[in-house]
Amino acid sequence: MPSEALLSVRDLRIAFHDVEAVRGLSFDVRPREVLALVGESGAGKSLTARALLGMLPRDATTSGTIRPDLSADRGRRITLVPQDALSALSPVHPVGDQLAAAVRSVRRVTRKEARALAVAALDRVGIPDAARKARSYPHEYSGGMRQRAVIAMATINEPDVVVADEPTTALDAERQEQVLRLLGEQREAVGAALVLVTHDMEAVRAHADRVLVMYAGRQSELGPAADVLTRPRAPYTAGLLASLPQYARGRRLPTLPGTPPAPGALPPGCAFAPRCPLATDRCRTEEPQPRPLDGRTVSCHRAEDVTIELFQEVQPA
Amino acid sequence: MTPLLDVRELVVRYGDFTAVDRVSFPVGAGETLALNGPSGCGKSSTALAVLQLRRPDAGEVLFEGRELTTLTERELRPIRPRMQPVFQDPYGSLSPRHRIRDAVAEPLKVQGRWNDTDGPTRVAELLDRVGLDPSYGDRHPHELSGGQCQRAGIARALASEPRLLVLDEPVSALDPSVRAGVLNLLADLQDDLGLGYLFICHDRAVVRHFADRAIEMREGRVTSG
Amino acid sequence: MKPTAAGFTRALCLVVVVAAVGLLPWLSGRDPALTVLRARSAEQEPTREALDAVRRDLGLDAGPLALLGQWAGGLLRGDLGTSWVSGTEVLPSVVAGLQVSLGLMGVALAVAVLLAAALVAPVLVRGRGSGGGFAAMLAAVPEFLLATVALLVCGVWLGWLPTSGWQGPQNMVLPALALGVPAGGLLGRLVADALPAVLDERWVELWRGAGVSRMLISAAALKRVLPPLVPQFGMAAVGLTGGAVAVETVFAVPGIGRTALGAAKSQDLPLLQGSVLALLLLGLATGAVAALVRRRLLGPALRDAGLALPPARPVRTHWAVPLTLFTVLAMTIGWGLLRDPYAVNTAARLAAPSLTHPLGTDALGRDVLARLGHGAASTVGTAAAVCLLSLLVGLALGFLPGIAAGAADIANALPPVIVGILVAAAAGPGTGGAAVAVALISWPPLAAHAAALVQEVRASAFLTAQRAIGATPWWILTRHVLPSVAAPVARHALLRLPGIALALASLGFLGLGAQPPAPEWGLLLDESRAYVERAPWAALAPAVALALLAALAVTGATYTRRARRLTPAAKPVGKETPVAV
Repeated sequence: MPSEALLSVRDLRIAFHDVEAVRGLSFDVRPREVLALVGESGAGKSLTARALLGMLPRDATTSGTIRPDLSADRGRRITLVPQDALSALSPVHPVGDQLAAAVRSVRRVTRKEARALAVAALDRVGIPDAARKARSYPHEYSGGMRQRAVIAMATINEPDVVVADEPTTALDAERQEQVLRLLGEQREAVGAALVLVTHDMEAVRAHADRVLVMYAGRQSELGPAADVLTRPRAPYTAGLLASLPQYARGRRLPTLPGTPPAPGALPPGCAFAPRCPLATDRCRTEEPQPRPLDGRTVSCHRAEDVTIELFQEVQPA
Repeated sequence: MTPLLDVRELVVRYGDFTAVDRVSFPVGAGETLALNGPSGCGKSSTALAVLQLRRPDAGEVLFEGRELTTLTERELRPIRPRMQPVFQDPYGSLSPRHRIRDAVAEPLKVQGRWNDTDGPTRVAELLDRVGLDPSYGDRHPHELSGGQCQRAGIARALASEPRLLVLDEPVSALDPSVRAGVLNLLADLQDDLGLGYLFICHDRAVVRHFADRAIEMREGRVTSG
Repeated sequence: MKPTAAGFTRALCLVVVVAAVGLLPWLSGRDPALTVLRARSAEQEPTREALDAVRRDLGLDAGPLALLGQWAGGLLRGDLGTSWVSGTEVLPSVVAGLQVSLGLMGVALAVAVLLAAALVAPVLVRGRGSGGGFAAMLAAVPEFLLATVALLVCGVWLGWLPTSGWQGPQNMVLPALALGVPAGGLLGRLVADALPAVLDERWVELWRGAGVSRMLISAAALKRVLPPLVPQFGMAAVGLTGGAVAVETVFAVPGIGRTALGAAKSQDLPLLQGSVLALLLLGLATGAVAALVRRRLLGPALRDAGLALPPARPVRTHWAVPLTLFTVLAMTIGWGLLRDPYAVNTAARLAAPSLTHPLGTDALGRDVLARLGHGAASTVGTAAAVCLLSLLVGLALGFLPGIAAGAADIANALPPVIVGILVAAAAGPGTGGAAVAVALISWPPLAAHAAALVQEVRASAFLTAQRAIGATPWWILTRHVLPSVAAPVARHALLRLPGIALALASLGFLGLGAQPPAPEWGLLLDESRAYVERAPWAALAPAVALALLAALAVTGATYTRRARRLTPAAKPVGKETPVAV
């Protein structure tokens, strides 16, 4: 099963003015897989994705390694589908020109060839009458067509990795599903791996091969999506899943007590310990390191004791 | 028994565009009716029309047996407190300039139920009721997290002592674990106070979990339910 | 609905301005016959018969409407009347002046564009950041100050270039620089402030993520920024017409601006009407060209798409900078206030700075520091009154967005100097007239700001929630709408104070404001020009003070939009209109 990794991240750390937002992540991206990065706002998942692309904010400092560094070849080998696909195209350029600009920036082709490739890409994502539509501006597209065009632009150079940063956050359930399905198809078509940043566990279940669950800048759990979602081994994953209405047993949903720690104000030991019903003194003093368990990597001293029912039992009144 | 809210053949138009097209449904006390559907299907227009914040173009809205659409703004004013909205954007529904405490106290003042001895106690009770430490009353909305802000919005709605809450995507902007907490709060309030909920939500899983009944809207019409 | 209301107001304002020009002889209320009589023959006694004869001759005995009709009728035939002073036809003088001014403005515009390009280039190359701070500084320097300094340094002291007249290209250099640099600063600042926000737009992420080269992204960002700014570029070009009055006066360039000013001072109303009309037409034509350029830039498909720019992000200087500027100014002024500005000491004329006269003395031996301090008090006092008036009017009209928008357009198209000329012609030069002139064009930006805020507040969910709790319209207005609007607009008005003071000073400099011997900064600078070679400090003091004031206007103004932490989804507050002085 473990195939040659496309991309290996080792001990990645991202800090802003000495406050670490990502604290030592290690994971691989494998060819053609869908890897989901999940976690709540502020967990560091978007920053991690940006680091892969070499598109971090200027005041960020990083350490650790990302090999090979695909960001040097951004556009050709790794591309981005940004948040809010409805506004992700330039309003003052015809859609075809935008795609052609992406082609011409990374390949030695003539203007005419780039245009032809742009039209072909629009056609591939199912935009009717692509040759004519390539000359239109984004405001002449429907919302659904704009999303398609964005995905076409991100896949036009047949990259190895597509990074999608919360591509569906602002959309309703139906649209979310459409976008993710199309993204999946296009990724298949060009043979790319997909790194999907999301906080939507339903999207993970439906689309991801593997999932990396992040909490307070660290990895809680990394493993096959089907296993992690059905038999979580990190207490945080269990809590996240338990709070989903899909898993609810009664009218009340289990919730995680407390709130995530602010970066820069982390508790000693495991960052999740203050909210964890299993936490021991060891958890409160010694930060757990990632270790293999059940075909995945878990960062928890008490991973063996974790079940999906964990939070149902300790539900406070 | 008459339902708490009975909407009959409701129509809302914006110019030539019919946003809500002959929609009918009842909501009973202590009951949650979900309005489900994609964005732009007319859910929010229905909510505003039910609340008489956007006067409907046709149809009837019977609240506690009384027809609202024929009432003047002045006649509506004493009825309004009994049906309260909770909006999607937790920050947008509270004035950025006012402290949480003042926002929660405002309905009491507007409705002439404020006095300086009991008022502050009542505000503290309300904040406590929605799971906020009363010390949060000193803060401004932007100093709270999205979930806390949504709770403050609910406290403010409760201050009017409503019978019906119109919840317009109240948890869509929240992270999953925060969302669960707010949904639990709404469930508790309903159990304790017997509130009727018109619950607008595009997430089917949440609707299935939370609503007693659901109707689905599409292009302004009810398609199932 | 809104655009038509704005369009209607715009048309109405234009008609009012043109009618005001046409009615000037009647509006002025004083007896032009006397002026004319004096100009024509200094010896003749102003007897009743002589004056009546002049009045009949000029057609002044007709009523105002007849006068307006006469003038408008002549206008249609291409007849602008004859000068009261020289008795020659107005039209040829206007045309000649216009030719000179157009040449000057053309070169100035080229200077401005080159300068703007130089200011914007670093932002584009670096991909972010902003050169807007320096650009804003240049934009805030009033033309009359820059012209005077250029005249002193390059012309008088260094003797590199001719300082007056209009004989050849060498005459053009200094005026074009004085006129072009502030305009270039304004253009550069508009683009440089808008670019960082545009470079943070979502599409830039998509493009970068798709590997599009930085150069292509920069070019695309420029294409994104320019079309919505073109109307403001048009305004900057219109601002040149106002600046031209000052610059042409300083360098004795026989252009339309100088003609207008001269006509206003000598009460030569037909000539004034002709030249002001020409300046207005020039402004309108520029606006029309700007609209045309915008259409060309956008192409047919984009015309109707809403291309509003994200709110500009002017770079803020450290708060200590405006504070220091303010302290230095305030202390100098405070010190000067303790001294007597009118005490004439013929023994100490044009004295160099010393312990008794820290900033030296002027041609009458008056203490420069004292005159600076007292001048500031009167200028700032007047500016504060203008400010307050503008605030009240702006707030009141902010609740009528259509009117506010239309009026703001016209006010932006009318440089204060031209309004000043009109008011001075009607009411005679004086502090009051200058104040009225500046007030006339100061309120619309505040009204526009208020209107944007009112709209924003009215659309917000929390206001809907107010109605839902049964709040009365009065409660909502007084507890929510007014407080949300009044505080930011008041702050905006306060930050415009230095700009308003500069506008007043520029009118003073041109002799349209405070009159001697009153100490007023613009006037001080003007007076000191006569003896600048012998007493440079007398000119330096007001020049430095004005420059400090300009710097204060810029560094303070970036604090207009206080970081009001709303939700990320909240709509940004409406545009901030740049003030061209």
